[in-house]
Amino acid sequence: MGSPCEVLTDGGDKQLAGRVSLLVAEEAWRIEDKFSRYLDGNIIHRINTSQGDPVEVDAETGHLLDFAATLFDISAGGFDITSGVLRAAWVFDGTDNIPAQADIDNILGRVGWQHVTWADLRLTMQPGMEVDLGGIGKEYAVDRCMAMARSATNVPAMINFGGDLAVTGPPVTREAWKVGIEGPGVDAAGKRVALRQGALATSGDARRFLLHDGVRYSHILDPRTGWSVPDAPSSITVAADTCTQAGMMSTLAMLRGTEAEQFLAAQALLHWCRR
Amino acid sequence: MGVQPWEREILAREDMQLTTDPLEAATDDHIYFSKEASSGGRGFGGGGCGCN
Amino acid sequence: MSATLAAATCALLGTTAMTPVDAQEEPKWDFNTSLLYYGEDENRVQDLSLKSIIRRLFADDRTLTLGLTVDSLTGATPSGAIRQDVPQSFTRPSGSGSYIVPAGELPLDDTFKDTRLAITAGWQQPTGEKGLLSAGFSASKEYDYLHTGVNASYAHDFNNRNTTVSAGFAFAKDSIESVGGAPIPLTSMLDVGDISNRVGDQDKDVLDVVFGVSQVISKNLLVQGNYSFSQADGYLNNPYKVLSLVDGVTGDTLPRIPGNEGGPSGVFLFESRPDERTQHSLYTQAKYYMNGKVLDASYRYMTDDWEIDSHTLDVRYRWPIGGSSYIEPHVRYYTQTEAEFYRLSLDDSAPLPQFASSDYRLGNFDAITAGLKYGWKTRNENDMSIRVEWYTQSGTVPAGQLIGNQASRDNYPDLNALIVQFSYRFLR
Repeated sequence: MGSPCEVLTDGGDKQLAGRVSLLVAEEAWRIEDKFSRYLDGNIIHRINTSQGDPVEVDAETGHLLDFAATLFDISAGGFDITSGVLRAAWVFDGTDNIPAQADIDNILGRVGWQHVTWADLRLTMQPGMEVDLGGIGKEYAVDRCMAMARSATNVPAMINFGGDLAVTGPPVTREAWKVGIEGPGVDAAGKRVALRQGALATSGDARRFLLHDGVRYSHILDPRTGWSVPDAPSSITVAADTCTQAGMMSTLAMLRGTEAEQFLAAQALLHWCRR
Repeated sequence: MGVQPWEREILAREDMQLTTDPLEAATDDHIYFSKEASSGGRGFGGGGCGCN
Repeated sequence: MSATLAAATCALLGTTAMTPVDAQEEPKWDFNTSLLYYGEDENRVQDLSLKSIIRRLFADDRTLTLGLTVDSLTGATPSGAIRQDVPQSFTRPSGSGSYIVPAGELPLDDTFKDTRLAITAGWQQPTGEKGLLSAGFSASKEYDYLHTGVNASYAHDFNNRNTTVSAGFAFAKDSIESVGGAPIPLTSMLDVGDISNRVGDQDKDVLDVVFGVSQVISKNLLVQGNYSFSQADGYLNNPYKVLSLVDGVTGDTLPRIPGNEGGPSGVFLFESRPDERTQHSLYTQAKYYMNGKVLDASYRYMTDDWEIDSHTLDVRYRWPIGGSSYIEPHVRYYTQTEAEFYRLSLDDSAPLPQFASSDYRLGNFDAITAGLKYGWKTRNENDMSIRVEWYTQSGTVPAGQLIGNQASRDNYPDLNALIVQFSYRFLR
């Protein structure tokens, strides 16, 4: 998952903790192996190397693609799993190295879920296009692992994959799971969230940006323009019923740039937006 | 003796803490420190005043 | 949009319903404030006190606690002299005036008026998985008293967090800046304007050490036991307390002719306490939960090298009413034996003892507190409570100390006080 993953159980013995951790780890590895765009031979690799041929997918992949299609619709094209190819033009290394419009235009022709034919577990993509489930995968994995942990034991557990996390229920030794949200420099303490049920997910990475002519280009790219979303917050954390919902809401808010806070306020979800 | 971590729901209640109301405890320590010969016991003795 | 996303997530995860999120931003500030009225009857001590404890929570369970207390004290307090069948006059502690106590009345010094400001600061942080380290500072200032202190303690959890063992110490350095200067012990109260038996500021050091164990017994029973040791060194007298020097047969105060500017009408000697005191105490407490109600009972035994032994039994019972309020009856019983040097008066026909005090707080007495507290949650989830308590002391002078006419008088200054405290707590 490209980040530390942890499982916390509240109570139970070492044996139980080990058993739950193993279940969770196996599920996380399974999802990573199956959907990572960095691995050869998995379903994502098959889709991305299909050269315009239709690809038959299994039910689980189908569910993820259905989900991605819904996200594409409700975000009016802002959330697009085919936008990954834009990374060829954008390298977020903190420099002022922003791409030329011509480079972006070149790539934009290979971006857009609307150019994909998806029905009946069969996906057909233009040659050169790629899908990347990285924007959904981690949150999906948290929720899947959550379900596994819940079916394995009644002992409350928290599953945390690099800050995207969910709990199976309230802890018993104290009143809630305490989660710290990294604060801006001046307030090292940050905020603390008491989580009894549900999930938290964070979008944004304060260390991934470009700076050009005094303008900060966030690593959130708008697939409709090929450009970095202007004035995107540096991070957004959302609390929701599931990690998937929390993650998607924070991503959708990121895409709103200046209006991120307004968007979040309208969703009636507990959230923390940091600029 | 003792409980498993998941059996702490009652013990975690605010009214089950050893010092439920720190203000009241501090007030009482101070009153009794100034009116009786014994002080403290729960924690450090009241003290810090010229009233005794 | 939320609904569409929720439906899509259900389809993705293959579930039909999701448990709603329950998340809350943790408050970082905890403000506790109370206003206290403490009033003794017969115009004795009245205290109006404003107290605040502010707690700031930082990351990783580190907390800063700040306390502030402002007391405004007025009223009269027993001077230590005995009742007489004739009016008595006394020099004020400042040495700059005198007052008269009518015949048959308990001599009270009514010049008691002070403002006290006290601050505390404490820092607490976990060390490792099972440890908790605390350190603090305290200071208070009254007109005639300055206190400064430091404290530190460490608590460690064992046995699956069912046992907590703690050790701590507090050290205080206090300075007694008596009005008019501290009197030399066992010298006489002098005429107005005569300060020849007064010396400068005095000080005392107090070291407290506490060892504690708390143990979870069962899901609804928690017990605690503490041993504490306290060592005080230095000036332990009350600079305003005197003893009457009495005739060995009649028990009446030896008369004296006051000076022109006024002064004492009898011989009153300033008290003399040892300059050292060692106390040991054992404290046990149990919290027991039964069907929503919580019983909080504690017992303390204290003994010291002044030969005071005391027992304190304290019981509170919190009884919920509905979901957001409770009543809590409280009863406390206290009893102590007198200090070995407690004397109602000093016998003129016998040699003066080295130590003597008639301070009623060093005498033999019982005290009972009975009170009721009502607490409720406000509409915006803040806590309020009000408690009303009665505190009453009644003491006896050991029969062997009564001389002559003293046997027919009411010698012990009984005390009745009303305590009303209103508290407000909110989190931000």
